Amino acid sequence: MAIALPLPARRRRLSRRLPVMLALVPAAFAVIVVYLGCMLWTVRLSFTSSRMLPILDFVGLEQYARLFGNARFLISVQNVVIFGALFMLGCLVLGFLLAVFIDQRVRAEGALRTIYLYPHALSFIVTGLVWQWFLNPTLGLQKLVQDAGWASFTFDWLVNREMVIYTLVIAGVWQSAGLIMAILLAGLRGVDEDLWKASRVDGIPTWRVYVSVVLPILKPMLITSTVLLAIAVVKVYDLVVAMTNGGPGTASEVPAKFVMDHLFERANVGLATACATIMLVTVIAVLAPWFYAQYGPAKRRA
Amino acid sequence: MAATVPAQRAMTTAREPAGRRPRHLTWGRVGVYVFLIFSALFFLLPLWIMLLTSVKTMDEIRLGNILALPTEFTIQPWIAAWSEACTGLTCEGISVGFWNSIRILIPSVILSILIGALNGYALCFWRVRGADLLFAILLIGAFIPYQVFLYPLVRLFSTVGIYNSLPGIVAVHVIFGMPIMTLLFRNFYSSLPRELFNAARVDGGGFLTIFWRVMLPMSTPMLIVATILQVTGIWNDFILGLTFAGRDNLPMTVQLNNIVNSVQGERLYNVDMAATVLTGLVPLVVYFVSGRWFVRGIAAGAVKG
Amino acid sequence: MRALRSLLMHGAAGVVIAAGLAQSAAAQEAEVIHWWTSGGESAAVKVFAEQFEEAGGTWVDNAVAGGVNARTAGINRIVGGDPPTAMQFNTGLQFDEVVGNGFLRDLEDVAAAGNWRDVLPEAIIKATTRENKFYAVPVNIHGQSWLWYNNEVLEQAGVEPPSTYEEMLEVGPKLKDAGVVPMAFSGEPNWERFLFNSVMLAEGGSDLYLDVLGNKNIEAVQGEDFRKVAETFGELRDLVDEGSPGRKWNDATNMVITGQAAMQVMGDWAKGEFIAAGMTAGEEYGCTILGGDDKGGYMMGGDVFVFPQTDDPAEQEAQEKLAELMMAPETQIEFNKKKGSVPVRLDVDVSSMDICAQKGMAALRDPERQIPSDNFLTSPDMYGSLQDVITEYWNTPSMDVETFVENYASAMEAAS
Repeated sequence: MAIALPLPARRRRLSRRLPVMLALVPAAFAVIVVYLGCMLWTVRLSFTSSRMLPILDFVGLEQYARLFGNARFLISVQNVVIFGALFMLGCLVLGFLLAVFIDQRVRAEGALRTIYLYPHALSFIVTGLVWQWFLNPTLGLQKLVQDAGWASFTFDWLVNREMVIYTLVIAGVWQSAGLIMAILLAGLRGVDEDLWKASRVDGIPTWRVYVSVVLPILKPMLITSTVLLAIAVVKVYDLVVAMTNGGPGTASEVPAKFVMDHLFERANVGLATACATIMLVTVIAVLAPWFYAQYGPAKRRA
Repeated sequence: MAATVPAQRAMTTAREPAGRRPRHLTWGRVGVYVFLIFSALFFLLPLWIMLLTSVKTMDEIRLGNILALPTEFTIQPWIAAWSEACTGLTCEGISVGFWNSIRILIPSVILSILIGALNGYALCFWRVRGADLLFAILLIGAFIPYQVFLYPLVRLFSTVGIYNSLPGIVAVHVIFGMPIMTLLFRNFYSSLPRELFNAARVDGGGFLTIFWRVMLPMSTPMLIVATILQVTGIWNDFILGLTFAGRDNLPMTVQLNNIVNSVQGERLYNVDMAATVLTGLVPLVVYFVSGRWFVRGIAAGAVKG
Repeated sequence: MRALRSLLMHGAAGVVIAAGLAQSAAAQEAEVIHWWTSGGESAAVKVFAEQFEEAGGTWVDNAVAGGVNARTAGINRIVGGDPPTAMQFNTGLQFDEVVGNGFLRDLEDVAAAGNWRDVLPEAIIKATTRENKFYAVPVNIHGQSWLWYNNEVLEQAGVEPPSTYEEMLEVGPKLKDAGVVPMAFSGEPNWERFLFNSVMLAEGGSDLYLDVLGNKNIEAVQGEDFRKVAETFGELRDLVDEGSPGRKWNDATNMVITGQAAMQVMGDWAKGEFIAAGMTAGEEYGCTILGGDDKGGYMMGGDVFVFPQTDDPAEQEAQEKLAELMMAPETQIEFNKKKGSVPVRLDVDVSSMDICAQKGMAALRDPERQIPSDNFLTSPDMYGSLQDVITEYWNTPSMDVETFVENYASAMEAAS
């Protein structure tokens, strides 16, 4: 009986690795040429005096000095943190609740699911305008309630510099909570039926089942949702432009809008790329530890 | 591969929520319905305003009563939005770009999802040196507003020769969709039991075979979510289509932008609303149709023993 | 150079030489990138397109709404080696770098043949030439400092149409008593900047305006006159309603149209909304140049077209034809009638245009009243930084004038 001799170790590894490596070629190309290349280009430009078009000179940290002395930039950082925390919390909680409740075998599930998801489908330029109308004290909710007789009702958050950021949270949650619901629902529907039955037999209250059993199973989906939301927060732009255009004044300014305005309208690529670099550095600082904890060597599945 | 077939079948069998609907209205169920209905009202409010506005005349809209029913009902704005609104020299509405959008959408969605799934699968089950670093950079890149990448990408694409072309815009969508698609599938595959993969390897499956015949069929819920994400993102994309697609392939969103975003011209809000809803119909249809697959599910723990 | 070669290839591909007619250059194709997409703007562009077609060319329209979007798209096309035949900019310093990088061709030949230097206002010539050569063809002048008002509302409140900011502040209380919003305002940062510049011009005078924005004179900013301007600007806050932040300018004009507000400070593109509502200038609504019809400075903005470099002779011919016809007197009148602005040549007969246009033209005939807007005088970066300061001041009633003046001065210095 012939015994198949194992191939020399190196060749064996290579022949196994080849299809994997080939499959990852598009990703490698995208990462190295596009993402890495463009990120390095961006950082390079932040050290130049580029106006509308790139100029490859070197002005040291001048743009950064200007950036950190810029009131609008500092406000935008503050805003994105507040908005980010509330928006992510709101979407996760609402999305989770909606997913859980819809999963309870309710009638008209299909219709309800589409209702919660449709905001994501519509272009925010116009839906943002609608929210602006609704939250504007002279056109929307405040006017409505006052006309209905309650004359002292006020809801002028939109035009109030302290409160305007919260209106952005409302509209943002409206647009994205449905998507989180969809992701979590997909996860929930993957939970084994037997698991439900087992927990019911044991007499454990339903909410306890959710917290101790379901949430851990949903962990990958929750992580995906969180990352998606975080990306949306850092890049939030359309929402702000459509609803408040950064106003009143610069009260609802956000970093992505700062970058965009200076990249195009203000023709100051140097300053815009400085802001983008700061965003990049912050993201790396926040993401790296999490990434290591999540996907690092210790966590590799056996 | 024989051993995996019954497992597959068990997994793709429709897993409807089992059992009869509870017949008695407990307080719990009332609470559930109340919450769902109030949420539905919150979500529907802007749509209601949009639909109302889209069937009013401009004279009425100017009066500013956004929640009032129209005194003079008209569907003219819808007709205008589709085929008559001015988008530049031509006044043919948003219908002009419809087929372009489809032509961009289909290859982009399919390719970006496939590559994302492939990446997620490779990263999750196969140990390749440096792949995690790749993934990390990919994720970080997703956080940067892509407008910053426009200039270098334009130069790159024009050097390579795919600037202003359909392959160019498809490539752009694949590249920018890659981080989230990879993340989606990687996390999903990591929640599947490793035994599945090991069993398939034992059966002699290679990289691609396992992907094609085991993993992909099991990924239905994620494929649905990925489709929702990509269809919405690509269909509603404006800047990338404008920059990379070339004049003959301009998507519908360019016309939509032209109708809605005029800076110094007069704004016809009823047409704007109608145009927005019309543009949103394609993703909406996808959402609605995808509902069937939300009912099916795969039992992550289906493989026993 | 690769870019030029690809330019040539694309240019050649772009020329419409229908199969067979190899020699005839009769039908030149011109791809034009611009941002005119609304109904009124579309009618205006049609004037150019039809004229071009009559002259034997084919106009290929590439409209992208939103000035920033259109300009970015156009610049990306140039950089990517596939330039359009012509693209739009605003009059002023906006296209400086495009010229500086050698992307545009000059129009000296066409300008000389058409005697542009004789018929255009001085400020426009300065704004469209670089190193004494024409690089852009101006097509209109938009007046930015107009006051629009609803005649009926003013009548019912018993007030005369004001023509200066002082007068506006005086009639404010009467209008409030009559139950209307005195000034409909769109609280977006760029309109706040427009308003401030308008106050500076109308109340502070053209000397102060040109000193501050033209010479970037910090001392003028720190002087008495500027301070008075800032105070008047701050007082205008009393005339607007609480819903003004974030409102679009069209919604503010609609308030005037429906009689909820009495007046609005806005550029002459506001006419488009009045026309869409079926109103006629001088009847239901009125217009006044701020500072007075007879002496207020006319703040000029406008649009120009530039022509990217190309080696293709047919394309070059198309560009020259476009430049020529855009400047032709009859085209100027027809185009501007539809656009709501006034012709850029001073030698045309505007008696067929509406009374607001005629007022504007009369103002322009006086060289002292030809005042360039801030984007002729300052870079986008600078007027952007000033805008940030102005919008903060407007939206913070508790901010005192000294702080504002300080911030304005430092912003001006930082952006220099």
